[in-house]
Amino acid sequence: MTETVDGDLSATDGGEPPDGSEFGVGDGTDDGDDSPRIDFYGGKWASTIPLAFFILWAIFQSGVLGIGDTNGLVIGALIGTILGMFFVRGDWKAYADTIFEGMTQRVAATAIVAWLWAGMFADTLQVGGFVEGLIFAADALNVGAATFPAAAFVLCGLLATGIGTGYGATVAFVTLFFPAGVLIGANPVLLFAAILSGAVFGDNLAPVSDTTIVSAVTQDADIGGVVASRFKYAIAAAIPAFVAYLIAGSAMAGVSLEGSAALRDTATAAGLVHLISMGVVIVTAVAGRHIVEAISWGIVVAVAFNLAFGLSSVSDILAFTVTESGTFTALPFVVVGESAGVGGSLYSGAIGFFPLIVLTLLIVSMAQIMIRGGGFAAIQEFLLNTVATNVRRAELTMVMGTATINGMITINTAAEIAIAPYIARIGEKFNINGYRRANILDANTSALGYIFPWAGGVLVGYQVMVGPGGLGAEYGPEMVVNPIDVVPYVFHGWFLVIVFLLAAITGFGREYIPDRTSEEVSRA
Amino acid sequence: MSRFDKFFAGFSFRGSTPDYEPGDTLEVMVTGAEDGGTAVARIGDSTLRIEGAPADAVNTRVLVDVDSWDESAHRGVGTYRKTVGESAF
Repeated sequence: MTETVDGDLSATDGGEPPDGSEFGVGDGTDDGDDSPRIDFYGGKWASTIPLAFFILWAIFQSGVLGIGDTNGLVIGALIGTILGMFFVRGDWKAYADTIFEGMTQRVAATAIVAWLWAGMFADTLQVGGFVEGLIFAADALNVGAATFPAAAFVLCGLLATGIGTGYGATVAFVTLFFPAGVLIGANPVLLFAAILSGAVFGDNLAPVSDTTIVSAVTQDADIGGVVASRFKYAIAAAIPAFVAYLIAGSAMAGVSLEGSAALRDTATAAGLVHLISMGVVIVTAVAGRHIVEAISWGIVVAVAFNLAFGLSSVSDILAFTVTESGTFTALPFVVVGESAGVGGSLYSGAIGFFPLIVLTLLIVSMAQIMIRGGGFAAIQEFLLNTVATNVRRAELTMVMGTATINGMITINTAAEIAIAPYIARIGEKFNINGYRRANILDANTSALGYIFPWAGGVLVGYQVMVGPGGLGAEYGPEMVVNPIDVVPYVFHGWFLVIVFLLAAITGFGREYIPDRTSEEVSRA
Repeated sequence: MSRFDKFFAGFSFRGSTPDYEPGDTLEVMVTGAEDGGTAVARIGDSTLRIEGAPADAVNTRVLVDVDSWDESAHRGVGTYRKTVGESAF
């Protein structure tokens, strides 16, 4: 299609659809052939069957039945993947190969590594009495049940901004801060939602966040400039969110836990030393160190504090349990128990994420099937031809398209990478500046990744509650929040989406490519 | 641009039809071509016709000298200077 200055200014002309191959999410056209690599009975849209089936399963399981078992979602993903295969025309080998192709993408590995490290760190702080320290601090500072969610939002936002992983911050805060808040009387649903809101804030704004980096490099913008330019949107959503948590905190009642009074009596200041452990992670990450290095230093410091101050034993951190005494039981990390096994905070912290890791691999592979089957390309074609016909509609399409894809793909970084080529091409068709495109892309990616019951950010927090030795097992069912209940209360996430819808409609923050050029793009 | 200024860049309500002055030099993405092959850059809902651009200029970033601009129609004509980049994809 050709554009003329006299006719209708379509944005669909010029150039082939982006394939996104440099980010590992090609649309199937990179072999020079416009036809999808996998042919489905029912056409391109049939490539969405595995992911669509999985989403329906997730809604039925977690939303309708209220079962948040991650392993159950794994089975849903497996069945969806098998189901999609029956719609493939001809040889099924390409379909099977695409499963491997999806699973080996770097984005999945990045999330997995972050979870494993964050899990070990968070559990080590937990056995070191950090919760008891936070309860002590909350009492001492007179942070009551009503203000606890607002405080959790701010503090989790700070941690997530520091370490750059909203998932990691969610794990740390649900493990450590959440039980402390519930025990002093905060509403569990609101408190979990406030923590998720903090994660949204950090994931969106942190310069070391994986989503921030992806948003910048895919839109040809420098990371520092992107972070600075999105500050106005983040604050515009965060201030009303903070106020909303103060109001809702006063209005929503907490739960009564048996034994909570006794637990409050055990509150001690010593565990607060782990604020330094968290500080080490934040400072190291902000200084530009890799997230693996930053959390590793946090683990080292936390272990050192636990042992130096007697906050935990060696076997609380790492324990080889044997059934009979022997030569090695003299070692502090070899203990005698009823059944042989390995345990400790490092162990439980890491394995708590194994189900989610398997689920992540399956979800990314289902997304890849959709890309290779032409489902993604079909969506792009539809958007450019029928929806994004002027700059305002183009920006609204970018906002809604990003939100929709993130609603469909649980792991928000994976969703962001999948939609990034479309955002770039739609935005460029109207000369929308790279900073603006990056901000639209990341805000909705960050927000939607922590709202819906099947979103990765919600699931990691829920996993801490229901996992082996989780909060539910330790404190009781009152400490477990149904993921669907938090949806309306992730205020910062919702407000961020609303801010960008208003920004698209009113032109607030809009910049065009001629307005300013990006500095050199850092792909580090 | 200083670090401080970056925080306030774009802190305004921007219209959908930006206008430019003759003599301005713009860096724009070429978004299409007229029937005769002349390159066109759509900036928001404004349009800049680019004379002398290469035939394969679509989806490249180019520097353009603005020769004339009609603020009522939000359309202008400019002259291609050089190609400075490509599409992000």
